[in-house]
Amino acid sequence: MEELKNNKEYQRELFDRLKKSISLKKEEECFGVCLNSALWWLIDQPDPKLSYMKRLISGTCPFLKGPDSRKKSGCVKMLWDVVKKCRRARTLIRFECVESLHGFVYPILQGDKLYGYIGTCYTKRDVSGQVVDIFAAFTDVIVREVQKELELSKLYETIRPRAIALSTVHTVHRLIGSTLDMNELLPRVARLSLQIIRANRCSIKLVDYTRKLLLPKVTIDLREKKSRLKKVKIGRWSPGKAVKYGRPIRDKNHMATPLIDEDVIGVITLYDKVDKKPFTSFDQEIMSTLSEQAVIAIKNAQLYKEQEKLTVGVIKSLASIVSTRAKGIYLPRASFLRIANLIGQKMRMSNRELKEIEYAVLLHDAGQLVVPDEVLTKPAKLTGREYSLVKEHPIMCAEILKPMKALKGVVLLILHHHENYDGSGYPKGLKRDQIPLGARIMGAVSAFEAMIVKRPYRTTRSIGAAIEEIKANSGTQFDPKVVQALSEIVNRQDIRSMLAKERYGGHK
Amino acid sequence: MADTNKVFQSDLHLKIIKFFHENQASLDTPRGVSTWVHKDRAIVKKALEELVEMKVLVAHRSTSTTGYSYTRSAKTISKIEKLLKKRRSV
Repeated sequence: MEELKNNKEYQRELFDRLKKSISLKKEEECFGVCLNSALWWLIDQPDPKLSYMKRLISGTCPFLKGPDSRKKSGCVKMLWDVVKKCRRARTLIRFECVESLHGFVYPILQGDKLYGYIGTCYTKRDVSGQVVDIFAAFTDVIVREVQKELELSKLYETIRPRAIALSTVHTVHRLIGSTLDMNELLPRVARLSLQIIRANRCSIKLVDYTRKLLLPKVTIDLREKKSRLKKVKIGRWSPGKAVKYGRPIRDKNHMATPLIDEDVIGVITLYDKVDKKPFTSFDQEIMSTLSEQAVIAIKNAQLYKEQEKLTVGVIKSLASIVSTRAKGIYLPRASFLRIANLIGQKMRMSNRELKEIEYAVLLHDAGQLVVPDEVLTKPAKLTGREYSLVKEHPIMCAEILKPMKALKGVVLLILHHHENYDGSGYPKGLKRDQIPLGARIMGAVSAFEAMIVKRPYRTTRSIGAAIEEIKANSGTQFDPKVVQALSEIVNRQDIRSMLAKERYGGHK
Repeated sequence: MADTNKVFQSDLHLKIIKFFHENQASLDTPRGVSTWVHKDRAIVKKALEELVEMKVLVAHRSTSTTGYSYTRSAKTISKIEKLLKKRRSV
């Protein structure tokens, strides 16, 4: 049935193009001279009815415009018979009509398939066989040209939307593959799904096999409808069924596509298309491809998170080793991590750079592991040799952390966090922008920390006094921009509360 | 949406809008769009950003690339539909 419909459509389009064909018009003009200004007609069906022939011929032949209906029907019948003969023979048929006029009918073929006829009458009696052969050859070329044009246009119509869809899928792949942060990834997948399927709502749920539940992770509704994040049992509703059976579940107004790795890890459900039409198999195809890419991205993000947890675990273990080694000296608290992070944010540092600062703050004094206990805990002023030992701790720390390739950026911050802005620091005597920004931030924060935390060799200062001291050294020991940011952040109520809670400084 | 003179300020802007209007589910990079409209990528990128500013297109930015898609605003889409029809009839 579908094939028949396609054939009819193809036939209609073929004749539409033939009627508009400039080459065919030129052929008519050229052969018009040889054939004595003949009348031309196109029959756009392989098996025309008599009534069709009547309509076609009455409109063209001047002899049939009169009132003589007997003559008219005789002529039409004769031509109809010629067309039938041509259909059987599939070759050019010459004829002489009731008015003793001459003509011929030529079939329009494509392989074995007959689409219609091109015909002419009112031609010269003595048209040579060679002219007729040339006409047939010319007509074949024109028909083939039009058929090729039509096929090319059909191919373009079929391939172009698929090429655009492929390009869209490729772009989606690039967009979702560029983040390893799950909190960023899932909303992005939801937004892109809404965009490419033109739906109004998208929900992503991940599977919790221990509880046999689908846990909602993100729901976006472009109609700004408030939507509750609901847990769904595996096997219930379309999302649950898609997970249970591991295949897409499509209904008129929603479509659930499972996220399949080795097992089903989740489901993307789309609701209500913008044009209010039902979801199609093409939508399903696109979403299946998108979900395959989303699974890879989710797995990568989960893996990255695991790796990050491992790194942070190692860093925290190292930090606690350092703190047990020198109790009361090394103890970075959440407040200092927060202050360093906020300064970094003010200085427009990237998330990766902020993480590096966090790790560096946690580990910055790990090099003190190699400094003797009596030096670390000495309540009096250090001797020159003792101070030299302490000054070596950034280098020692860098050496300890060097084998951990993932901490390359962190090592650099630790190595230079005792450099001074004017070049008077250690270990390399770097100045200004030569010192990594993270290290400049760490320098100011660790000095602030050292002043307000109880040390064996000096008494603590108030927060205000510590900030004043740091300001006094702005431009010499510290980067003025960092000092400015630090003094602003320390004055924030939440930071003051945090510091007070952690009992630093003893006063607000 | 910005005023229509601005939206259709050049043939390229018109071509890009027509592409996204006819393929509303499409999401593409400047390289992809430049293939569909047969123009240089740098020029296309500039026009895409201008259309984002005019709220005709939406930019999906990531560290590696930016994807552009058609607006979701039904009001803007119907306005563009009318404008395109008007242009076709001229």
